[in-house]
Amino acid sequence: MLRKYSNHRTLGDNLKLGGLTAFSAGMVNVASVTVFFAFTSNVTGYYAVFAQELSKGNWYQGAVVLLWILLFFIGSFLSNFVIIQGKGRWSQYISHAIPVMLEFLSILFVGIYLDFFYKNTLQETEFLVAALLFAMGLQNGLTASISNSVVKTTHLTGLTTDLAILVSMFSKRENRENKALVDKFHLLLTIMIAYVLGGLFAGLGYLYLQNGTFYLTCAILLIIALYDFYKLTRVKQLFIKRRRETCPA
Amino acid sequence: MSRDVLIKINYVFVALLLIGASLTVMYHENPERLIQGEWVEKDWRLEKANATPASASTSELQERLKREILQNIEDLHLGVWRFYKDGTLESAEAGQGNGLEWVIKGRGHVLEVRKDGKTVESFQIQQISKDKLVLHLNFDLQVKGIIEIVLERKGQIDQYAKKV
Repeated sequence: MLRKYSNHRTLGDNLKLGGLTAFSAGMVNVASVTVFFAFTSNVTGYYAVFAQELSKGNWYQGAVVLLWILLFFIGSFLSNFVIIQGKGRWSQYISHAIPVMLEFLSILFVGIYLDFFYKNTLQETEFLVAALLFAMGLQNGLTASISNSVVKTTHLTGLTTDLAILVSMFSKRENRENKALVDKFHLLLTIMIAYVLGGLFAGLGYLYLQNGTFYLTCAILLIIALYDFYKLTRVKQLFIKRRRETCPA
Repeated sequence: MSRDVLIKINYVFVALLLIGASLTVMYHENPERLIQGEWVEKDWRLEKANATPASASTSELQERLKREILQNIEDLHLGVWRFYKDGTLESAEAGQGNGLEWVIKGRGHVLEVRKDGKTVESFQIQQISKDKLVLHLNFDLQVKGIIEIVLERKGQIDQYAKKV
């Protein structure tokens, strides 16, 4: 899921990464709206809200929205920064797992803060939403960066456009038989469904788990980060075992 | 200008924006501080989604709807709203101990009123200044629409009364 880069990635890698990250993004978004009345994957909308608040002379609200947009920007920046700066310094898997772990820590921080420190003040709300937008920026930056912009999981505007274009392209027989297009369609559809399912899961889960929804998202992120670690360790073990068998001395 | 310089300017610009936005969020007058105090209800306007305010306010249906809606949110027809710093909300009539609490959420655009820890109603803060507070309440009973509640700060009204 994480250890391969760009064109070396298979459809299976992208489906797993896209599905799981979109599921977690859907969960975070719905949980955030429920708890804070603020979306965490609505950057397009926030640009419009920013302009609207400024035009009304609401400086405070404008600054809040600007802070959220900037935190998303910094999250995406940091994700790609770690990936490109990590090249040659440490393994590709580590470079790709760091943004996921940072996202994990951001969401875990929000969950713990809500459980033990939250006093329902507006300032706390603004900074916790900012932490979630930072997490979403990290995730979108990572998935877009390692998949050559094929996988984007926190914003569905572009995805819906791409999906619509593909569906219209399938009105021609030759496109319906084009494997690359069909694969792309499956990937986009998986992301869209996973995002909605994540949102549904968080919406229903919040009724029973409340802030535990954030911990559940963290668990999904851990699966994403550790899946390849498990695979790499398993391959290493098999390699050592086989080497011992072939060269017993 | 070389690209090396441009990218450095870019980094500095983002850092300045971040610092500026953070400082504004921390120290600028925010809706949570502005709302504290006593507010007097000046107007309850009912606006249906598919009607102009003028035609809506005169219709008979409008009056019936208004009665029905007000019945549903009787607790919130407070007359005088007192927002305390500790998050309690009281009305002049009910006085202390009505169990209402207030919280502001989102980017400072949602006022949530709670009773015994459960949300009673969420209002959109349409406008908030030192003297005026306009709240919108979405309803969806027989028709979709908005109730607009206009409040004015108590001190302002007293000063006006004194002047008169």
